[in-house]
Amino acid sequence: MSNSKPLTVSVNPDIDEAEKILKEAISQHKTVLLVGNCWVRYRGRASSKLEPGERILIIKEDGSLLIHRSVGYEPVNWQPPGCIFHTKTRNGVLEVHAVRLKPSESVQVFFDKIQMVSAMSLKDSGEFALYASEEDMQKALLTEPSLLEEDFKPISYEKKVEPGFVDVYGIDKNGRLVVVEIKRKTAGKEAALQLAKYIEAIKSRTNREVRGVLVAPNIAKDVQRLLETLGLEFKALNPKKCAEILKRAETKRLESFFLEEKPQ
Amino acid sequence: MFKLKVADAKLLRDMATAISILVDEATFQITPEALKLRAMDPSRVAMVDFEWPKTVFEEYICTEPTKMCINIGELLKLLKRAGKDEVVELALDEKTGRLQLKITGKYARNFTMPTLEASEEEVPTPKITFNVRAKATTAGLRQAIEDAELVSDHVRIEADNEKLVFQATGDLMGATIEIKKGSDALLDLEAKEPSKATFSLSYLSEIIKAASATSDIATLEFSTDMPIKLDFQQAKEGKLVFYLAPRIETA
Repeated sequence: MSNSKPLTVSVNPDIDEAEKILKEAISQHKTVLLVGNCWVRYRGRASSKLEPGERILIIKEDGSLLIHRSVGYEPVNWQPPGCIFHTKTRNGVLEVHAVRLKPSESVQVFFDKIQMVSAMSLKDSGEFALYASEEDMQKALLTEPSLLEEDFKPISYEKKVEPGFVDVYGIDKNGRLVVVEIKRKTAGKEAALQLAKYIEAIKSRTNREVRGVLVAPNIAKDVQRLLETLGLEFKALNPKKCAEILKRAETKRLESFFLEEKPQ
Repeated sequence: MFKLKVADAKLLRDMATAISILVDEATFQITPEALKLRAMDPSRVAMVDFEWPKTVFEEYICTEPTKMCINIGELLKLLKRAGKDEVVELALDEKTGRLQLKITGKYARNFTMPTLEASEEEVPTPKITFNVRAKATTAGLRQAIEDAELVSDHVRIEADNEKLVFQATGDLMGATIEIKKGSDALLDLEAKEPSKATFSLSYLSEIIKAASATSDIATLEFSTDMPIKLDFQQAKEGKLVFYLAPRIETA
């Protein structure tokens, strides 16, 4: 029985065979990959037309649809989850029609040559977590200094202080110098000792009060005592939060401006 | 068959340099009327639209429309060998499919280089309603971009009817460069509505630096969060236009 098969692949199928695999996969809510020469029509909030070319069509089990070209990470056309699909073959052309009712939008994909069709049942229950690097945490702290504390003002970062570089260097609301050492994982003893060295180096050159703050998602218990002994502080900061704070700015592609109306 | 003769090698070299900012393999269209090129850079963020009508050339023969693709870096290496007032002649050897490049000045040099498979991609023009039109000196633009580059890798360009402002914000430092209407660097400024858009400085800077070798005056056109059009006015006939897509902040 084909409906129990986790994976169906057909290379260079004829249009009728492709339609059969596609219909069955859609009715069973499988994930479908269709590769071939196609053209696309979109109507809805705007309208667009994509001229013939070889592309990858993906239909996912939740009823979303994506059409990818051979370049770029974004799909050229797409429909969100919950679409209703119709397929039909006329004059050797396979039409895949994905309709969304609210708002009313429809994507029609026409294939005249199919290189591959594949239907699969994918098991995926893993969670997706977004993490930031130490550098991202540093950037987030510079962008949003209140992550450390109210009225913290960064002056410099990667400041050279023998024996190395201080991650972030600034002033607190009472005018005291603050040296920040960032770790993206649980901070160990080395991090605390490293910070202590920077503080010593800076204290030897200034008669201002200097604070040292270790920033990390958490610290090991024995490090807490070491920090107290050294007169240093700890501030919990989650890399995930940093990732969220960093606004992602990306350069758009020119193609998205080729259409007269705003593309979908 | 075609044969194109340029009286001043420097003109051709500067133009090839400007094109090389965005493309490595350049597909030129040679028609009986003009030499043209329209191409996007590999990351498809920027586009160059170049055209030299036959009047730019000392001699221009093209019997039928031809496409020719060449490695522009290689062409530049050859063109760098030519002095200011030396004559450059380009022709296609139809038997071998190679491009022949002849530089004549104090002495004559003949180079040949391979042609590559021409790109079939037709690059359309971005359809944009521009709300701001600013005519500025390329020298002024260069200064503004160089200032902004000191503090950041991107710049926000803002304009209203009074001034054109370049705003750059880095991790620690910031820069605001204001060019007022009526200043020497800004010849004309029209804004249907105040507009602003952010662009990558690496693209903007390379484009402006290279194109300013070919042009003294550029017209900038942009709208909020839309691509910018940079039209570098040419001394002779011909056009050199760049489009650059904006950076959009996504939360």
